[in-house]
This record gives sequence, structure tokens and C-alpha cells, in this order.
Amino acid sequence: MTDAILNATGVTMRFGGLTALNDVSFSLTEGEVIGLIGPNGAGKTTLFNCLTGLYSPTAGEVALRGKQLPEDPAKVTELGVARTFQNIRLFPSMTAEENVLVGRHCRMKQSPFSSLLHGPGFRRSEAEALTRSAELLEFVGLTRFSDELARNLPYGDQRRLEIARALATDPSVLLLDEPTAGMNAQETEATRRLILSIRELGVSVVVIEHDTKFIFTLCDRVLVLVQGELLVEGTPDEVRGDPRVVEAYLGAPPEEVEAQIHAGEQTP
Amino acid sequence: MTTIEKPRPAAVPEPTGRLAGLAPHARTLRVLGGVLTVVGTYLPWATFVLNDGPYPEQSTLEFFTVPYGVTGFRLHLLLFGIAAIVLALAAVPAKGRMIRALGVGVIAISVVNGLYIVGEGGGLGAITVADGVAFGAIVALIGGVLLVVGANAGGIEPQPVWNWRLNPWVERALLVVVVVVLLLLVAAVLTSGGQGGSGYAGGVFLSFLAAVGAAIAALSASGLLAWVTALTERHRLYSVALLLAAALLLPLTSAGTEYWMTVAATIGVYAATAIGLNIVVGLAGLLDLGYVAFLGIGAFVAANLSGAAASTIGITLPFPLVMVIAAIIAGIFGAIVGSPTLRVRGDYLAIVTLAFGEIFVRSAQNNIGGLTGGSNAIPNIPPVSLFGTDFNEGVEIGALELPPGFLYYVLIVLIISAVMVVFANLKFSRLGRAWIAIREDEDAARAMGIRTGPIKILAFLIGAMLAGLAGAFYAHKLGTVSYESFRFLESVTLLAAVILGGMGTIPGAVLGASVLFVLPEKLREFSEYRLLLFGIALVLIMRFRPQGIVPDAHRRAELAPETDPAIVAAEEKVAAEAKGEKS
Repeated sequence: MTDAILNATGVTMRFGGLTALNDVSFSLTEGEVIGLIGPNGAGKTTLFNCLTGLYSPTAGEVALRGKQLPEDPAKVTELGVARTFQNIRLFPSMTAEENVLVGRHCRMKQSPFSSLLHGPGFRRSEAEALTRSAELLEFVGLTRFSDELARNLPYGDQRRLEIARALATDPSVLLLDEPTAGMNAQETEATRRLILSIRELGVSVVVIEHDTKFIFTLCDRVLVLVQGELLVEGTPDEVRGDPRVVEAYLGAPPEEVEAQIHAGEQTP
Repeated sequence: MTTIEKPRPAAVPEPTGRLAGLAPHARTLRVLGGVLTVVGTYLPWATFVLNDGPYPEQSTLEFFTVPYGVTGFRLHLLLFGIAAIVLALAAVPAKGRMIRALGVGVIAISVVNGLYIVGEGGGLGAITVADGVAFGAIVALIGGVLLVVGANAGGIEPQPVWNWRLNPWVERALLVVVVVVLLLLVAAVLTSGGQGGSGYAGGVFLSFLAAVGAAIAALSASGLLAWVTALTERHRLYSVALLLAAALLLPLTSAGTEYWMTVAATIGVYAATAIGLNIVVGLAGLLDLGYVAFLGIGAFVAANLSGAAASTIGITLPFPLVMVIAAIIAGIFGAIVGSPTLRVRGDYLAIVTLAFGEIFVRSAQNNIGGLTGGSNAIPNIPPVSLFGTDFNEGVEIGALELPPGFLYYVLIVLIISAVMVVFANLKFSRLGRAWIAIREDEDAARAMGIRTGPIKILAFLIGAMLAGLAGAFYAHKLGTVSYESFRFLESVTLLAAVILGGMGTIPGAVLGASVLFVLPEKLREFSEYRLLLFGIALVLIMRFRPQGIVPDAHRRAELAPETDPAIVAAEEKVAAEAKGEKS
């Protein structure tokens, strides 16, 4: 729990005149689960996109084990950062197993020629990939759906399949974008346990979530992002008690708002 | 060793909407439809003796000359009518679905024949009451409509799933029978209506096609076709070998003449090209509107290396080497055309490929570098010759006389087999999965570590190589290569073949190419309306079968109506899950 595996320093992202992220810095240590919370539009997903090479930050840099991440999402994934998406983005007309196999893509040694000829090397790599996919599907509890099309899976299972697909790339850092969105209490609890067992595998996890109860019971550390800036960083207990967080989520207490209004009336 | 499992009990869905009131009369309607179809069969169909005179025995249009002789289309109608009556009265699973297929077939047959008689015999009088009485077409049509209405009123059941397991050797023997029937069917469809272009030939062909299509649809509705497909999957290598053998035996059937061999070889060229296009469009999902250019490049490369008098490069190379060179050069152009895929997507890419196709045609038209012969084309390309035998001559093996063109046919069958192996092997590999993933969601594919750029270019490269291979054959088979054969229209037709047949599947591409390149041959009397009819047919197929004739297992689930058993099963599972979680 000492070595920082992922380091973001001064990450700033501007779209035209809009500053989506302003000077965000944080680090993730090995085997840690970090929660990323904040109101809608705070820049959480933008930060994920910067961490996975989908966006290249306007300023600042992201480094994995001290090495700066390339701008190509495919290469970032090869280096060991995998993600899921806020709005599920599975390959809908592929089976659950095939989805996970696609995740194995960058770890399979299989040239176009061996794909063409289906020689012994091909069969070995294919068998390995199939074994690994079966393991992962079992890990997330979707073995019974392995031959089912991704689009036909129940909603919660689609989210789980996305996690399995991301794990298939053998990541050292896993970024989960709202993994429990739209889930009921039982499913959320199952996901919480799943993330904890992912940590057992030695994978560091960053989770975006609106469900604060979920975040506070799961994470080692919580970052609060408000209007593109890192407002608070700390343990769940610290964050929970911080008045700035309460204000960002719920607005200022009524008496203060009233005071402001009165102040506004008195000035002219 | 025979275990028979009962099919999953399929609940008949409650009919809804306008037909709901007819539900109690469904059986009556079905029987009545069948009876009318049979009656229509025996009624006269035309009020005059046809100018063309009686047709040969294979003709499906035996008119007045043999009033009660039941051959050709009358035989088909009679069989369909009786089958519908039997199905309506018997306790058969999915009978509504089967009767609907038969009904559509009856409608198609009576409409095709009725319209032909009207068109050729001059007006509606020809099928009603001008010089005599001839209501055959109309009665059969009503019969067909009643069958469809009756089937829908009684509810369309989901397709049953049969899980019969027989002794492996019995299964293999059954497969032989199936493949032989398939071979005879292919030969019959190919030759029906003769060479086309005169009188009722087109009608004979269309009518027969409708009958075969309806019969296959009914078999498919009964679930038997799916069972046979499962059989072929259990004996995969064996089935592939059987199919290859059957393809090579086609010259021994009624299609074994020089003419049909040439037609089959031409279809083969387009089928091979369509499979190549299927990699680009069907697997990787990249729309290519100029794909036929690669066929052209292959053909021109082969023409220039063939020793034809008009070729500027004065060298003559053996055919196998020429094929390889043609494929490589086409592949290089494929990679060049594919390179914009790094920057542009979707519609914009389609426009880039469209422009490439146009550049190719214009360059060839202007005899670029003296390589294409311009408007003179490159004529007199010598035939392929191996071991001193020219491929355009007939062959005698013992007492067996094989028609000229037979060797070309064998060659294209082998080329298609090779192309199929390439396609199938790639589809079920790391590369194929990456292509499909890109088709499904390119951003997600990149996030999963797929370097989409090189992989997309590879799709273009391999697709173009396969087309180049076919092009080399094309040049030698035709003997002349002209830019006119590689215009935009051909690209569109190829694309239509892939979509029509079913994206991402081999049989789909082959079937699509066959349909689209046989129809114009057979329907020459409509050559002026060819594109119009073609367009209407495409719209209809896309409306009623958007997944294509032979859909990919995955696409089928995606686009099929919700009655598809696979989907129903999945949805039931999902519903059960949801219930379990709520409680």
C-alpha cells in the first residue's frame, strides 16, 4: 500500500471556453480502491477519459508506474489500465464469452497468419483465451450466460459482463464508471463484494458513483470533484463530515441562503 | 441409440388486432384455402392456346394444351394445397407458421403465372372470361390469401426445436440424402425456364423459384431445417466434404452443359468477390461502395500477364503465379483505400470508397499507362492451360463426357472453397473478433486494447486480395477485360448480394451473389426494368427479412421477430431472473 501506481498531476482539460477539469492531481497506490464522487457535470467521466487516453489533457500528465500514458486508448489498455463505461458499451451482438474474448485481444499472441491457418500455435492461444474467459465469467458469476448475446442479458449482468471484459485485459488499474447505476440494493451489494474481490486480485480500482453509501462502505479513499476541481480528498469518514461536500451536494443550509438573500436586498 | 425428445411445448400466441375475430374460424379458413388452391390447380389458367406452343416437359407453365395434366407449377400448387389441408387438420407443431409459408408460396406462384399470362396474352381477359373461362390464377390466388389469413388468425407459433439424436452413421447417411437433394434442387433452379429471354421463360423460372422458396420456408418453419443444420454442425468436416463433392458433381446433372457451366463460373466469380466484401462490410462493418474495383484490378493484372496481344507487358506467367500476383496487387490497393479509415468513419468512408471506385473506372477507361486498353478493352486473353489441356475445352474421362467450361467450373469451385476457408478461419480468430468488435462499437473496441487502425486496414487488404484472386480467374474465363464490367452499379450489386444474403455469413454471400447474378440472366425480357424490379425486390426483402436470407446466428437474434425461439428462451430466462430478484 505504499507504491503509487497511477499518478495524475495537474490534469486540466478544456473544451473551447469550458474548463471541464482544472488542475486535478491525485495518486493511486497498489491494491487501493478510490471513490470518485461529485455532482453531475463535475468532470468525473472526463477525468476517466483523460486517464485512459481517450482525451489528451490540455495540461498536466498522467503516469502509470512513472511512465507517461500514451494518447491511444488501445496502448493505454495494453499498459494495464482498463475501464468500463457509464452507459454500458458492450458488443451487443456478441455472446458474453466473445465479449470477454475481445478483452483478451491485447494479451493474445496470434498473428494474422496464424489466424488464417489455424495452426497449433493458434489453437494453443485460443484455448488459453477460452480458459481465461471462462474463469472470468465464473468470477463475475455469469457462467450460465456465456453463450447468450450480450444484448439479451439483464441490466445488472451487463454491467458485470463489462467488468469481466475489462478484467480480461489483465489490468493493474481498473476504472469503473458508475458500476451500480440502475441497480437495486441486492445487486449493488453484490457489486460491492465483486469490487472487493477484484482488489484481492491485486488490481487497484477507481470507482465513479453517485451512491454515497456504496462509496463510503467500499473505498479506502474518496475524492470529491466539484466543477472540475478536486474539492476534498480523504478517508470516507473525513469526506462524509466535510461541510464543503455537504454543500456541494445539498447546497448551503437554508438559513445561510436566506441570509444571502437578505444581504442582497439590503445592498441597494 | 435413438433418443427422441419432445420439442419444447410452444404456446400459441393470442392473435391480436384485426384478425382476432377470425380466430374461431382459423381452421375453416385454412382448409378452405387449401381446397381453393387445389381447385385452382385444376381450373384452366388461360383462355387461349399460347402462341409459343406447348413447352418441354420441364416447363412449369403447361397451359390449356394439357388441361388436367398436372406438371410444373400446377404440380407445385397441388402439393401445396394438399399439404395445407393436411397440416390444417393434423396435430403438428408450428402448423400455422408452415401454412403461412405455403400460403405465401401459393400467392407468389399464382401471381407470377397470372401476370405472365396477362402480359403475354394481352389483358385480363386472358385469365378470366374472354373466349372461355379461365379463373385458375384468381381462384388459386384467393386460396393463397385465405391460407395466409387463416394462418395468422389461428396464431403463428414459435418455431419448434427438435433434439433428435440418431445413430451417427444414420445421421451421416441422412446428410448424403440432404446434399443430393440440394444438388438436384440447385441444378433444377439453375436450368428452369431454359436460358431465358423468350416468352414465358422468366415466368417459369420465377414460379419455380417461388415454389422452392416456399417449400424451404415451410421446412424451416417446421424446425426440420434447424435440425439438419444442427446435424451438419455435429459432423462438420464430413458435411463440408459432402458439399464440396456435390458442388463438383453439378456438371453431371441437368446443368452439365457449356452454357450452364459458364453461368455457374460467372456466379462463382461474384460469389468469391462477395465473400471478400463480406469481410469488409459484414465483419468489420466498413461500408465500401467501390469494391468491384479490386476485382477489376485483379482482372487487369491477369490480363497483362497473360500474353494477350493487347497487353503492354510482354511477359506470360503461369496462371497460379498470376493469381498470386493479382491478389497481392489488389491487396496493396486495398490497403491504400483502407488507409482513410484511420481518419474517417461511416458515411464519410463510404464516400471515399465511392470516389476510389470512380477513379478506377475513369483511369481504366482512359487506358492509364496503356494497361487497360481503354475502350478497346484487353481482348483475346488465352484460356488457362494446365498439363496441355485448355480449360475451355470439354473433357472425356473414360465414358464420361464433360462439357466445355467444366474445368473452369472446377477451378472456380476450388477458388471459392479457398476463399471460404480464409473467411471462416479469420472470422473465428482474434482478428475476426476484433473486426466484429469494431463493427459493434469502435470506441469500446479501442478501450479494450484493439489497435483499430491496422486492423481495419487489414480488413480492406484481405478483402481486396480475395477479389483480386477472383479477378484473375475472371480475366481468363471471359477472355476479355473491359472497364465497363467494373462500374459503380456492379459494386452496388455486390453490396446488395452481401446484405441480401445475410451479413457476415458464407452461405449468405454465395446465395446473394447467385440470386443477383442469375436473375438478370433469366429475366432478360425485363432488361429495361431490371433495376426497377431489383430495387423493389430489395425493398421487400429488407422489409420482411432484414437479417438477410441466411443470417448470421448473432444477427438473426438481433433482428428477428420476437417469436424466434432463441430470443423467447433468452427473454424467459431474463424474466425469470427479474422475478427471482424481486421476490
